[in-house]
Amino acid sequence: MAERVKTDVGSVIAALDCDAELMLRVKEGDGASFGVLLDKHRSSVVHFLYRMVQNAPVAEELAQEVFLRVYRSRSTYQPTAKFTTWLFRIATHLALNSLRDGKNERLQERLDDDSSGMPVRQISDSRPSVEQYMVFQARLDEVRRAVATLPEKQRAAVLMHKYEEMEYSQIAKVLSCSESAVKSLLFRAYETLRARLAHMA
Amino acid sequence: MRCPIETGESAELLLAYCARKLDADSMAILERHIGICPACREFAGGQRAVWEALDAWEASPVAAADFDRRLYRRIEQEVSWWDRMMRPVRPLLFRQGLPIAAAAGLVIVAGVLLERPASVPMAQAPVSAQVDIVAPEQAEHALQEMEMMREFNRLVHPDAAEPKM
Repeated sequence: MAERVKTDVGSVIAALDCDAELMLRVKEGDGASFGVLLDKHRSSVVHFLYRMVQNAPVAEELAQEVFLRVYRSRSTYQPTAKFTTWLFRIATHLALNSLRDGKNERLQERLDDDSSGMPVRQISDSRPSVEQYMVFQARLDEVRRAVATLPEKQRAAVLMHKYEEMEYSQIAKVLSCSESAVKSLLFRAYETLRARLAHMA
Repeated sequence: MRCPIETGESAELLLAYCARKLDADSMAILERHIGICPACREFAGGQRAVWEALDAWEASPVAAADFDRRLYRRIEQEVSWWDRMMRPVRPLLFRQGLPIAAAAGLVIVAGVLLERPASVPMAQAPVSAQVDIVAPEQAEHALQEMEMMREFNRLVHPDAAEPKM
């Protein structure tokens, strides 16, 4: 009975979530569907991981591992949640492990070094002055430092909320916690960021 | 409107306001409140500054071709010879796995039954001698019955999906 309910839920989610539908095709051996999923989510996964670990080569390496795990899990995949929830759960898990393992110990060094291998938004003026560029870089550096000082789970919650525009319920599933815990994480994280960045207004 | 900070729903409501995720009516109500409430104005101002600061941290496009090439190379390295051999028949196995497994099981059982009498002396096991003649028919009959049951099931439940593995 429970198995049947699970299967029914899975088929409903697959019908609503075209990514889950694609993943089910990958499960049946359709390699092209994996390519579609990769194309669709490559950038968001790399960017999320970059903002988590703030190191471009490490972020790309972790993103490779994310998609490799997705591919490896194809035969056991069940659409019990949104595909992106599953994808970002893998990405968050790898990012948190990487941070805890100290693989990213050059983070501070890179922050001090700046530029970080990831270009940033250009100033709207097509030819910004050196002064404008330096002010922009200084502000950006401040933002990156502020995010880097957040505890890991708060950081992950803020990045998913701000850049991936995820709902509280989805962030909760990714982080394996309750919605109220997510609200609390976000409240504390934004409180810290307001204290550090409010003067930029 | 009651002050969201006083009612304890400040974070959720004001975050949604700053992220422009509120509907137009709620947005207008909150904006009017912020106009007269210094605490909410300070909160919203700070949050808006954070939001804009985070907006400036835009990520660059990923070198997709290089990323994909490295990923597919790693995937290829992981695919074993067995996977490569099974790849063409895997979709068939997923769809037809259960009937094939059942038929294979019956063939094995039939084979075992056919083998057994040869190792048992005839005089001591007359019953098995009878099985020796009947077993292939039984196996064939069982297979036919399975096919009939499947046909019957299709007629009774024409909308039902094929059995999954």
